[in-house]
Amino acid sequence: MAERGSRIDVDGLTKRFGAATAVDDLTFSVEPGRVTGFLGPNGAGKTTTLRCLLGLVEPTEGSVRIGGQRYRDLTDPLSRVGAALEAADFHPGRSARDHLRVIALAAEVDRSRVEELLGLVGLADVAGRRVGGFSLGMRQRLALAQALLGDPGVLLLDEPANGLDPAGIVWLRGLLRTLAADGRTVLVSSHVLGEVQQSVDEVVVISHGRLVHQGSLAELSTGPTTVRVRTPSPEALCDALEEATPEPLADGALRFTGVSVRDVGRAAFEAGVELHELTEESSDLESRFLDLTTDGAPR
Amino acid sequence: MRVALVRSEVAKILSTRLWWGLLIGAVVYVALSALATALTAGMDPGGGQPGSAPLGEPEAYRAVYASSLFSGTYIFAMILGITSMTGEYRYRTITPTFLATPRRGLVVAAKMVAHLLAGVVYGAVGLLAALVAGGITVAARGASLGLGTDRLWESVRLAVLAVALWTLVGIGIGTLIRNQVAAVLIAVLVTFLVEPLATFLLASIDLDWLVRWLPTNASAAMTSPGSSFVDYLDWWVGALVLAGYAAVAAGLGMLLSVRRDIT
Repeated sequence: MAERGSRIDVDGLTKRFGAATAVDDLTFSVEPGRVTGFLGPNGAGKTTTLRCLLGLVEPTEGSVRIGGQRYRDLTDPLSRVGAALEAADFHPGRSARDHLRVIALAAEVDRSRVEELLGLVGLADVAGRRVGGFSLGMRQRLALAQALLGDPGVLLLDEPANGLDPAGIVWLRGLLRTLAADGRTVLVSSHVLGEVQQSVDEVVVISHGRLVHQGSLAELSTGPTTVRVRTPSPEALCDALEEATPEPLADGALRFTGVSVRDVGRAAFEAGVELHELTEESSDLESRFLDLTTDGAPR
Repeated sequence: MRVALVRSEVAKILSTRLWWGLLIGAVVYVALSALATALTAGMDPGGGQPGSAPLGEPEAYRAVYASSLFSGTYIFAMILGITSMTGEYRYRTITPTFLATPRRGLVVAAKMVAHLLAGVVYGAVGLLAALVAGGITVAARGASLGLGTDRLWESVRLAVLAVALWTLVGIGIGTLIRNQVAAVLIAVLVTFLVEPLATFLLASIDLDWLVRWLPTNASAAMTSPGSSFVDYLDWWVGALVLAGYAAVAAGLGMLLSVRRDIT
């Protein structure tokens, strides 16, 4: 399928609010046809960056372009870019259907599209109810419907998984994949790595308004996985596993690097060594993410 | 001006309950005002004050129908106008609004057109309330309804136009002052307290020529010409002045407030 999305270019973006610098000389780009995670702790400048991209906030310095254009120069912006910024941007006294209709009228989107999207995000049954009574999850779904209203090629979603139940998160993940597979540009922000880990192809990580990493998620993790073993006869196990050097741990267990659990298990079985624990230590992605985003030093 | 934007603004008005809440307030106010005006028409207020025109005279019918319709409706129409802007900030719907229409001036212009229409509807409903409450009271006093009175309908048309112009003034205020409570409070205080005081003070130091240009007196030029100690403008000048206040406030708002970041 032809690519429908446009490239997003953030170039030297700086935004200061008074004395506070929210975004500091940030440069990255987002390609169509994949899901890009926009990661960083709360207050890292993700929302400000997105609002700059959408022309809601004026950059202090630098430029933001979608398909080479500024947002405000787009003709028919909602058919090019869809955004779900915060689940709070609703009039509590207006029904979900009317909220979408008001925007559809302004964007000259067909009314049938409103009903179609209410169905897609699972709000068809409550579409006539006032948004004031909606849960956070329902608001997130409504915000998503709003973003999709003009069938845009670029989607900017700010913390879309917030407030969704586990089933909702699985559904969202599938939806994002489908949208990217259509050739759209999908940028999803989150402050929780685990939330997007399974659904993004690429990440842009920022901290204190600065870029700390852009690339694949795999590049973010470092070093091979390790295996943790507890045995009453460590020497016998070390002899059986001569190709690996163990590191004794404080609690009496051993950590092997460069071997798999299967290697250790087989060696122990063949040598008749008794094992009390055999664990693959998880990849250190999460701690690497924390390291990257808490010290704030750009790489 | 894109018609689609105006339709969107009309849909915004109609899809929350505020418009009919304010309209009920206007209807009650108009009905009470028409009832009181019709009841007291021709009575001597005492203390040597001039009495109002007795029923049967054109002036009395104009007061019962046209003046009541205006005085009971315009504040509510103005508040509707104010909230059309401030409500967007208050409930943060300004984000989707500006995402759909990044050229922010177009949004304000579309609101003005939509609310001019809403103001005409408010005026028309106010007229209905004045006709029913005023008519019943006039009939109960045994006078003729006076609906064929000379120039009555011209006054009614001007009163409806004045109500519509006050919704524009409201949008101007709301464009300038983002905070809803502050905007409504300031607007009501100015029209009910500051302006009458200013009118009185300026008139008492022989600055009548200035007094005529205040918003309330400009609209009074449309709704009650020649019935006060102020020397009013011609009705059409008054209408232009009122529209001018709306335009100046909205223009200042565009420069000072609307262009600001939406965070």
